[in-house]
Amino acid sequence: MRVWLGLVFCLLVAIAIAACAGASWASPGDLWHALLGDPSMASRLLIEWRLPRVVAAALVGALLGLGGAIYQGVFRNPLAEPYLLGSAGGAAVGATIALLVPLALPQTLLLPVLAFVGAWGATMLVLGIARVAGAVDAAGLLLAGVAVAAILGALRSFLMLALSDETVSLQVVMSWVLGGIQTPTWHGIVLLLATALACLGLSLLFARQLDLLGLGETMATAFGVDTRRVVARAVLAGSAIVAAAVAFGGLVAFVGLAAPHIARWLVGPLHRPLLPASALVGAIVVTLADAIARAALPPAEIPLGLVTAVAGGPFFILLLARRLRT
Amino acid sequence: MSALSADSLVVKRGGATLIDNVSLSLGPHGSVAVIGPNGAGKSTLLRALGGIDAPTSGHIRFDGRDLDDLDGRERAQAIGFLPQTFEPHWDLSVAELLELGAARTKALQPHALDGMKQAFELVGLEHRRWSTLSGGERARVLLAAVLVVDPPVLIADEPSAALDIRHRLEVIRTLAARGRDRLSVVVVHDLDLAFRYFERVVMLADGKVVADAPADRLIHDPRLDETFGVRFERMKVGDRWALHVDS
Repeated sequence: MRVWLGLVFCLLVAIAIAACAGASWASPGDLWHALLGDPSMASRLLIEWRLPRVVAAALVGALLGLGGAIYQGVFRNPLAEPYLLGSAGGAAVGATIALLVPLALPQTLLLPVLAFVGAWGATMLVLGIARVAGAVDAAGLLLAGVAVAAILGALRSFLMLALSDETVSLQVVMSWVLGGIQTPTWHGIVLLLATALACLGLSLLFARQLDLLGLGETMATAFGVDTRRVVARAVLAGSAIVAAAVAFGGLVAFVGLAAPHIARWLVGPLHRPLLPASALVGAIVVTLADAIARAALPPAEIPLGLVTAVAGGPFFILLLARRLRT
Repeated sequence: MSALSADSLVVKRGGATLIDNVSLSLGPHGSVAVIGPNGAGKSTLLRALGGIDAPTSGHIRFDGRDLDDLDGRERAQAIGFLPQTFEPHWDLSVAELLELGAARTKALQPHALDGMKQAFELVGLEHRRWSTLSGGERARVLLAAVLVVDPPVLIADEPSAALDIRHRLEVIRTLAARGRDRLSVVVVHDLDLAFRYFERVVMLADGKVVADAPADRLIHDPRLDETFGVRFERMKVGDRWALHVDS
């Protein structure tokens, strides 16, 4: 219980700090006044522009943390991560198509749908390659993931070069690829919140089966799990989560890797506590990373994906080193 | 009425026939040792009987019902399966592993968890993580997790092979003793232990059953020497027979 209160408290503090942070800093007092309904221009900017962005960052982080925990559970591999396994790369290809190809559907609908199709397709492809190669283990999955991610990256670059013209600038796609939270309307926030809660609820339904998968294929089967079906369902759910995160936040690397690890230190490896804890940790991490992205080099904004990669890269190297040693 | 039966079981993998037309009928109670040289198909047979891998053809029935018709939860409650090796991907605690074992049933007997902890001397180990347990402790935890729902059938693929002699004896005795009021089918690599603790012995070679008899009869059977490719000397030790290999 203390851990949960601590996590929620940290998230609230992170949101408060991030709401104050920016090219021009607000004081906690300013924030308080704005929350109480102060009608001044500065307060309204805080409420209508900065706070939605901060909350969106927290929700994208929660989705990434949750998605990472599901992927690690499915692949039974602490190095599994949406970005390493190609699903984010697939989502990016889908999103690039949505941004650049003039299709007769509204982009707000097209982007999440194509991102989902891309994420799911890429993950199944990686899983399939590893299965065919007979190596559904850490090394096999990472190699297949790296290969698929590279191909998808090249495909995305090609699409960007081939399809962009004066009407859709490369800049839009590029800034999106590097990761950055879109500032949504409060309407969009509600949609994002509903998505995050639905994803969490859905994933909690198969939390127990993820636990059993962690016992290995044989014991999971012996304990009554239809492993193929669970893996397929969980990959589907994980892809939907990654697609939602990608649709609202672009490509934000390493959060899905780091958040479940931190959460595992706090609440242990069982998925019922791990899934919500990973979401909370992810929310805290991305909220703070987004604040750094906005406030570090004013008036410019650093792409969020760069901030998380700079912080997350060394974390990944550390994990890899520790794993190789054992 | 048999609890578990195999009918014309065939298992093929990658062009090789691992189990070749095996039929077995196993009663609702009894201790059965499965023996045979390396590559005889012991593990493959047990994995099929336990519902872990589907056979290529043939049927396995539990209580008269085809194993395929049982859903995962029913099968997991009916048949406890102990694998040859077990390494969880996450560093679970003893209590968490028991919880996962108990999750197979919605109606866990009250005190079943406490009873298991007592029976397998796990009291006080609840919060220890898997990576910190000794081989003997691991074997006891795994047994407790599998047996906590008290399955009518236990299928064990010699989970004690890597243990020292005292712990090995302990595990084999526990598995055999379960045959008093349940069905216990165990792959046993040590022939002495198989003949000493089990009532019935099934001998496999090249995917076929070459002998299936009470232990005290099969121990004198010349097919034993033939199957293992050695000459056994039968020696009287106390009031029982033991096998000795001439080198």
